[in-house]
Amino acid sequence: MPLKLRASLEQLSHIRDFVVDSATALGVDPALFDDLRLAVDEAVTNIIIHGYGGPGDIELELGTDGTDLVVRLRDQAPEFDPALAPAADLRPLGERDSPGGFGVYLMKSVMDEIHHQTTETGNELTMIKHGAVAKAAPPDAKQGG
Amino acid sequence: MSEDLQIAISREEGDKAITVMRLRGSLDANTQSVLENKAKEAIDGGAEYLLLDLSAVDYLGSAGMRGIHAITNLLSPDDPSMRSPKLKILNPSPAAAKIFKTLGFDAFIDVYGSVDEAIAAL
Repeated sequence: MPLKLRASLEQLSHIRDFVVDSATALGVDPALFDDLRLAVDEAVTNIIIHGYGGPGDIELELGTDGTDLVVRLRDQAPEFDPALAPAADLRPLGERDSPGGFGVYLMKSVMDEIHHQTTETGNELTMIKHGAVAKAAPPDAKQGG
Repeated sequence: MSEDLQIAISREEGDKAITVMRLRGSLDANTQSVLENKAKEAIDGGAEYLLLDLSAVDYLGSAGMRGIHAITNLLSPDDPSMRSPKLKILNPSPAAAKIFKTLGFDAFIDVYGSVDEAIAAL
């Protein structure tokens, strides 16, 4: 079942807990839980801060496609494509002009695929981790997604 | 004040004094300001060196790293060394250590295994 809520920064820990609960139910390798929490937290934080500019409705769903884990985030915020965010500044601390772009950089570092598409009502962000589920579910038992 | 992050502060004396901030919980976009405000209070109160104990941090994201970067700027606003001479890290949890490394902070902020070791290196 997807998580639908009016997301605010205060609910980030609740959202991370949902990710771990869902990943557990889907049979995801527990060694990946930290990476999944990170990717979803960064994505939701971006939606709240850069998309809505404050709290806003989001829908979060985890599912499987074979042995891949598929995370989908939907919102009704103005278009925000993480791929267009400024690159992370990884120079030495004293040379860093602005510590921005870290969130998207982290998302890309822990997920294998990230896709953004504009929908009729807002944005849909899909993040995929290959081989995250030990055993593929039968086609008719595909969950979520 | 967020209940997602608790911070206990103590002052450890050696040849130089260091203020130890022991964090417990999550360091994310919701709690970043909690850390920054506590650090600013300590610095305004005379703290010259800060040691952040991250052993009980179960989540560290980019916002938390921006907070830590902001504290290095507060402590060393005009430091030309490109390093963090006055903010040190103690025993980062595996999740925190991974973010430090991924974002390249491990090359510029010293990490120690004990308070004594950190004080000895000042």
